[in-house]
Amino acid sequence: MIKMKVWLAAAVGAACLSSTAIADVSIEDIVADQASGDDIVSYGLGPRGQRYSPLTTLNKGNVKNLFPVWSFSFGGEKQRGQESQPLIKDGVMYVTGSYSRMWAVDIRTGEEIWQYDARLPEGILPCCDVVNRGAAILGDKVFFGTLDAKIVALNAKTGKVVWRKTIGDYQAGYSYTAAPLIVPTEAHGPLIVTGNSGGEFGIVGEVQARNPETGELVWSRPTIEGHMGTLNGADSTMTGKKNESWPGDLWQNGGGAPWLGGTYDPDTKLVFFGTGNPAPWNSHLRPGDNKWTSARIAIDPEDGKIAWGFQTTPHDGWDYDGVNEFISFDMEKDGETIKAGASADRNGFFYVLDRTNGEFVSAAPFVQNITWAEGIDENGRPLYVDDNRPGNPVESADGKKGKSIFAIPSFLGGKNWMPMAYSQDTKLFYIPSNEWGMDIWNEPVTYKKGAAFLGAGFTIKPIFDDYIGSLKALDPVSGEVKWEYRNKAPLWGGVLTTAGGLVFTGTPEGYLKAFDAETGEELWKFQTGTGIVSSPITWEQDGEQWVAITTGWGGAVPLWGGEVAKFVSYLNQGGSVWTFKIPESLASK
Amino acid sequence: MVHSKKFLSISKLMLSAVLLACSALAQAAAPADPFGSVMWQAMVDRYFTGGDVVFDQRVKVIAPYSAENQMHVPITVDATGLENVKQIVAVADLNPIQHVLTVRPKQALSFIGFRLKLQQSSPIHVGVQTEDGTWHMGGALIDAAGGGCTAPAAAHGTSNWMQTLGETRALVRRDSKGDARMTVRMRHPMDTGLAAGIPVFYMNKMVVKDEAGGVIAELDLFEPVSENPTITLKPAVGSSASQLAVSTRDTEGNEFSFPLSVPAVTTQ
Repeated sequence: MIKMKVWLAAAVGAACLSSTAIADVSIEDIVADQASGDDIVSYGLGPRGQRYSPLTTLNKGNVKNLFPVWSFSFGGEKQRGQESQPLIKDGVMYVTGSYSRMWAVDIRTGEEIWQYDARLPEGILPCCDVVNRGAAILGDKVFFGTLDAKIVALNAKTGKVVWRKTIGDYQAGYSYTAAPLIVPTEAHGPLIVTGNSGGEFGIVGEVQARNPETGELVWSRPTIEGHMGTLNGADSTMTGKKNESWPGDLWQNGGGAPWLGGTYDPDTKLVFFGTGNPAPWNSHLRPGDNKWTSARIAIDPEDGKIAWGFQTTPHDGWDYDGVNEFISFDMEKDGETIKAGASADRNGFFYVLDRTNGEFVSAAPFVQNITWAEGIDENGRPLYVDDNRPGNPVESADGKKGKSIFAIPSFLGGKNWMPMAYSQDTKLFYIPSNEWGMDIWNEPVTYKKGAAFLGAGFTIKPIFDDYIGSLKALDPVSGEVKWEYRNKAPLWGGVLTTAGGLVFTGTPEGYLKAFDAETGEELWKFQTGTGIVSSPITWEQDGEQWVAITTGWGGAVPLWGGEVAKFVSYLNQGGSVWTFKIPESLASK
Repeated sequence: MVHSKKFLSISKLMLSAVLLACSALAQAAAPADPFGSVMWQAMVDRYFTGGDVVFDQRVKVIAPYSAENQMHVPITVDATGLENVKQIVAVADLNPIQHVLTVRPKQALSFIGFRLKLQQSSPIHVGVQTEDGTWHMGGALIDAAGGGCTAPAAAHGTSNWMQTLGETRALVRRDSKGDARMTVRMRHPMDTGLAAGIPVFYMNKMVVKDEAGGVIAELDLFEPVSENPTITLKPAVGSSASQLAVSTRDTEGNEFSFPLSVPAVTTQ
């Protein structure tokens, strides 16, 4: 059969053009993505986002023989942060890049099949670099979001636009950088689900679900209390109860952007989104819990209603923008199996929740020297350190600047956007974290459309002389850190773990590294020539196990980094995707 | 196994499609080109396949001898002397992208006016294909200074060009009883992708329909059509007043549509 394929491909190529046959991706393929090693048709290697591959060809013994196959340049002068995770289907890689670009690449040759450049307007307002985190695929289409808050469906074979819809008004500060999520529903068939970005501009967070064939909106769910959701073009239900945890009119520009995208659990049939910081940053202007900001929310994809919500940082005052991905996993504890979900929050604590109802199970710090809370109580609420909240500017002599405090972690978080991984073999979470703090103070602010809505000033500082980045293997049952890898520059890339006992992650210094999943021993590294701030993948291609990573330094660190600049200012930009496998000559060794 | 079978059938299909395309390439040499274009044979092979190619006086291509402004070169094609017209294809032989547009007049006269970008002095060839497959050719030679396709659109001198995208001016007049003459001009940069740092972005579809939803004309537009496409058609809509529906789409999936009123013919 394989020989026949090759012959046919050759005949077509010789005739006058070459093309790759692409079978359509079904919703079943997406739901079962984690189990199939020969393709990657979802962000997170499966809708739960565990970033765990069942492949074992590549293992602790032979990973030292991993060599590059090809490197594909994104070209142009648009070399900014590349945070994208590629998708793989039938020998084609779909990869997105900075400034809302996307490519289809022939995996066997590394040659481009097509390129799509979104035509961005002047005046887009991305807060934290012009990144994109990846695409979604279904049927004969690939989908991705653009910096001007649009979602685009492209024909997977040609790269031509099939439809393009608006998520939000880019002039008001809405943007989009996450990978869309595709989920099954009984009522509507598959839906493509997106969040939005813009929490620094006083936007209102919202999750939207669309028909992937037409782009028509099926439902929308604002994340902020008081705003109305929609279903099939009509108002559905209000999120929460107006003014219950927000004073006055502030909920109207309340932030809570679900900007990192979501995960889906086929067991509970729920969609999970993390929500971002409340707006403005100055918390004295908005007493109350400010629901659902800095929270995890579970949404029923059938109607867009919130099934449950859990706030990690109620009444956030530090930009603990808790969008962090919620990963479903089954946890054995005291002889019981808990249908759990976990996330490593911006606020420095690792949370385990019951994913069926959002009930708190446990929390443990995953970074050192946390100052803003003494811990998390038995209901999951932080034990705040009141002196460690930035002071109210109204109480200062001139009313212009409140008392400055030094808080750990910094607003860039114990963990930021970069996704962690969960191994079904070691039962450990591998968390890309950072050890840093910040001076932060509050200022008065009023909302103006399209302008930054912060009311805060800040500067980030390392807390150790020799490192910021820290990859940790954490046991979700005990909350203990089993091993740690320290990295000088802050870690800003995602993690991958495999049944071959490996953990992969990239560093801003340019290395893609492989570690022993049990011990943390560094087994392999390769210098890609520019910083890595993206998530690695692995899949099986023609009987061999491949690894790929996009490379290109950028993201939020060089833009906001403060004192951290000393650790990263020498790093150079890039923009490419690298692939690796074990060469045939070494495969048997 | 099921998966492999599917692959096989797709591949077979592709193979036959490719062979078909190749057999079309192997047709007889085209007649001599009165405009002496070095690209003539290539233009025939690429765009004027599937029938005989003949130069025909009934295809009138009205163009300036010299392009005053190579970003906007006005062309009028009048093939109303031909019957049973299937499509009209215009190419600029020496442009980096040659295919300018294709028009399929359904309830319209075989007539189109448009403006194109010209990269250098070039022959323009217009093929009008009739139902029997024959390509009736006409053309013109246009002298030009150069640079039309690789320069940025004038729109990029302003910061709000995307807000005015698709803004339209339209005019309908009566030429003779039974026909109307409509001209639309729509704001669009029509970026060719050849200007440094500006990705390809152009209006690529236009459909004009009558009140009942019947198609009057369909147009495929390509990169060489001038910025702010200006298109003239002659819908055959009878002598009474009616309303046309014009809809367009660009390569980013933006869709624009508007109604266009046609006045009744006034007796003189």
